[in-house]
Amino acid sequence: MNAQDIMFVVLAVFITLSALATVLSKSIVRAATYLLFVLLGTAGLYFLMGYTFLGSVQTMVYAGGVIVLYVFSILLTSGQQEELRQSTLQKVIAGSVITLIGIGIFVGVLWTHGFNPVELALSKPSESVITMDTIGTQMLSTDKGGFLLPFEAVSVLLLACIVAGLVIARKR
Amino acid sequence: MFDFSIFTKWLDALMLSVMPEWLTLIIECVLVALGIITLYAIFAMVMIYVERKFCAFVQCRLGPDRVGPWGTIQVVCDVLKMLTKEIFSPRKTDRFLHGLAPFLVITASMTTFACLPWNKGAQILDFNVGVFFFLAVGSIGVVGILLAGWSANNKYSIIGAMRAGAQIISYELSIGITMLTMICLAGTMSFSEICQAQADGGWFIFRGHIVAVAAFILYLIAGNAECNRGPFDLPESESELTAGYHTEYSGMDFGYYYLAEYLNLFICAGMASTIFLGGWAPFVIPGLDGFNEIMTMIPGFVWFLGKVFFVLFLLLWERWTFPRLRIDQILKLEWKYLVPISMVLLVLMALCVSFGLTF
Amino acid sequence: MANKTYFAGLVGGIKSLCTGLGVTFRELWTPKVTERYPENRKENIIPERFRGTLVMPHNENNEHKCIGCGICQMQCPNDSIEVVTEMVETEDGKKKKILKQHIYDQGKCMYCMICTRACPQGAIEFAPEYECAVFDRQALVKTLNQPGSKCAEKPKPAKPAAPAAPAAKPAAAEPNGAAPAATPVAPAADDKKAKMEAAAKKAEENAAAAKAAAEEALKAAEAAPEDAALKAAAEEAQAKAAKLATVAANFQKKLAEM
Repeated sequence: MNAQDIMFVVLAVFITLSALATVLSKSIVRAATYLLFVLLGTAGLYFLMGYTFLGSVQTMVYAGGVIVLYVFSILLTSGQQEELRQSTLQKVIAGSVITLIGIGIFVGVLWTHGFNPVELALSKPSESVITMDTIGTQMLSTDKGGFLLPFEAVSVLLLACIVAGLVIARKR
Repeated sequence: MFDFSIFTKWLDALMLSVMPEWLTLIIECVLVALGIITLYAIFAMVMIYVERKFCAFVQCRLGPDRVGPWGTIQVVCDVLKMLTKEIFSPRKTDRFLHGLAPFLVITASMTTFACLPWNKGAQILDFNVGVFFFLAVGSIGVVGILLAGWSANNKYSIIGAMRAGAQIISYELSIGITMLTMICLAGTMSFSEICQAQADGGWFIFRGHIVAVAAFILYLIAGNAECNRGPFDLPESESELTAGYHTEYSGMDFGYYYLAEYLNLFICAGMASTIFLGGWAPFVIPGLDGFNEIMTMIPGFVWFLGKVFFVLFLLLWERWTFPRLRIDQILKLEWKYLVPISMVLLVLMALCVSFGLTF
Repeated sequence: MANKTYFAGLVGGIKSLCTGLGVTFRELWTPKVTERYPENRKENIIPERFRGTLVMPHNENNEHKCIGCGICQMQCPNDSIEVVTEMVETEDGKKKKILKQHIYDQGKCMYCMICTRACPQGAIEFAPEYECAVFDRQALVKTLNQPGSKCAEKPKPAKPAAPAAPAAKPAAAEPNGAAPAATPVAPAADDKKAKMEAAAKKAEENAAAAKAAAEEALKAAEAAPEDAALKAAAEEAQAKAAKLATVAANFQKKLAEM
C-alpha cells in the first residue's frame, strides 16, 4: 500500500460519508455544505490521478459555482431555516423501492464490469500530465475525438439560460 | 539566480534514503504546511501593521506608536488579544456551519497563498494549470462567506453575505479575463513557467506594453473588490452593517476572517506581481550588463517581496483614497465597465500576440 | 454621469479618481498632526479660552478680588460652588463680609462659565489646565482662595495681577496635593503675551486689508453710480473695515495693559 492508495482510501471514505450526510441532513443549507465536501473530495480524486485540469474544473464549476448558486438561492428564497417535514408511510415505501432499484442497477454494473487490478498509470502526477495547449486544441478540434460539437452545444444551454434570465427580469 | 529546488530535492532524497515513501510524504506535507502557516501568520501581522500606518499617514496621523518602537509590537499584542478572546456563538444559530464557515474562508485563502512563487524553485503548488487552479480555489471562499452570513441568524450578517456573494462572483469574472489576457501572452498557465519566461524575456507588463498596463490596472481594481476592501468594502461596511458577514464572530473565529482578508490582499498583490511584474524575476535592461549583473545578484524572494509591497502600496493608496460605493454602483462598474473593457483587452492581446506586436 | 455618454463618463471618472489619488499622495508626506501627549506635555499649547478648571487669580501680594458676595454660588446650575464667608469688624468699626473659603467641586462642574460671567468683580476665571484626572473624587473639591489671602483693597485697583496670576495658582491652591503637577508658570505667561502680540499684528493686517478693499469698492461704486448693488457692497466693506480697525485697536490696548 503506497501513499497514493492511502490518500485514495481517505478521500473515498470522506466522499462516502459526506454523501450520506448530504441526503440524511434535515437542514437544506447543511445538505448543500455536505454536497460541497462531496464535490471537493471528487476534485481531490482527480488531482490524485493527475488530472489537474479536470480537478480544477470540478472545483471551479461545482464547488465555486454550483454550490454558491445553491446557497445563494436558498438564502434568497427561504426566510428561516427550512426543515424537512416528517415523511408519510407512502413516501417512505416509494423512496425505499426506488433506492433498492438504484442499488440493484449500480451493484449489477459493478459486478459484471470485471475490474482489472491495474496500478494507476501515473504514480508521479507531475511527470506526464497533459499540457494546457493540448487541452485547448482538443477542445476546439473537429478531428476524431475532438470536442468542438459538445463544446458548442454547451453554449446553446448558456444561451437558453440568458434568454430565460431576460424573460424573468424583463419589466412588464 | 539561486534555484531553491536544489535544496528541496536534496532534502527529499535524504529522507527517502532513511524512511519509507509514505512517511517521507507525510513529513514533507507537515513541513510545507507549517511553512505556509508560519508565513501566512507573519505576513498577516506585517500587513496589518503596514495598513494601519499607511492609513494613519494618509489621514495626517501617526498611527500606532505607543507599544514598542514605532508601535511595532502593537500587532503582536492584538494577535495575543485575539487568541485569548472567548469564541462565542449566539443562540438559535447553526453551530456546525457557524464554526465551519471561517475554516472554509481561511482554507481557500491558504491554498491560494500556496500558489505564490517565492523564488526560483520555491513554490508549493505548481502544475500545468496553476492559474486556473488559483482561480478555482479562490472561489471556494465565497461559500464560507455566504455560510457565515446565513448561519449567524443575524440580519446584518445576511445582508453582508448577499452583498459579498454578488460582488465576489461578479468580479471573479474580470479577474479571470484579465489573467487570461496575460496567459495569452505567456502561453502557459504554470506559475513557474510564467516566472521563468519573464526572467528570460522581460516582465510581461513591459512586453505587453499598453494592453498589459491596462490589464494590470483592471486586475488591481477587480482584485481589490475580490478582497472586499477599499471602495468595495460594503459586505463589511462597518458604518451600516456593523461588520457585515462576520458580525457575530468573536475571538479567533473572527481572527480567521481578519487574517483571510489581509492575506487575500497579499495574495492579490502577489498574483499581480507574478503575472505582470515577473514574480521573482529580476529587473534587467538588455544591453546594460553591469547593471544586470547586480540585479541578478539580489535573491529572488527579495525581488518577489519588493514587487508585492509595491503593488500593496498601490492597493492601500487606492483603498484609503476612495469612498465606499453603493451596491448598484459596484455592479454597474463591473458589468458596464470592467467586463467589456477586459474582454476588449483580451481580444487586443490575442491580436498583438498573433501579429507579433509584443516585445 | 447620467447625461453623459459612456466614454465621456469613463474618462471623466478616471480623471476625478486620479485627482483623488493625487490628494492622498500629497497628504502622505505632510507633517502629521498627532499630539504625542505624555511626551509633549511641556510644549503642548492649549488655547487660552479652553475651559480647563476654575481658578481665582491672586496678585503678588496674595490678594484676590473676591468680595464674598456669593453670586457665583447662586448662579451655578450644578451647585458646584460654595462660598464660605464670615463677618469681621474693620479697624474703623465697620462690619464687613470677607471670603473665608471659595470651595469649588470640579466633579460637579459642567464648565458652563456662568459663574465667571456673573462675578461682579471678575474674581474667578477658567484656566486652560487639562490634566484634571485624580484617583479620588474628594481631590476634585478645591479651595480656590490661597491660604492667608485677602481681598484686594478698593483704592488700588487690582489690575496688575490679572494675566500672570492664573498660572501661579496651582501648586499653592491645592491643599491635598492631588491636583496636576505644577505647570510651568513663567513660560505660560510669556506664551500668552507672544500670542497676544501675534493676534494684534494679525488683526492690524486684517484691518489694513479690509480698508484697502473698502476703498476699492468705493471707487468701483463711484465709477458706476447707478449700480445699487455695488454701492451697498462698498458700504458693507467700509463698515467691515471700521469694525476690524476697532478690533485691532482693542488688541493694542490689551497689549499695552499687559
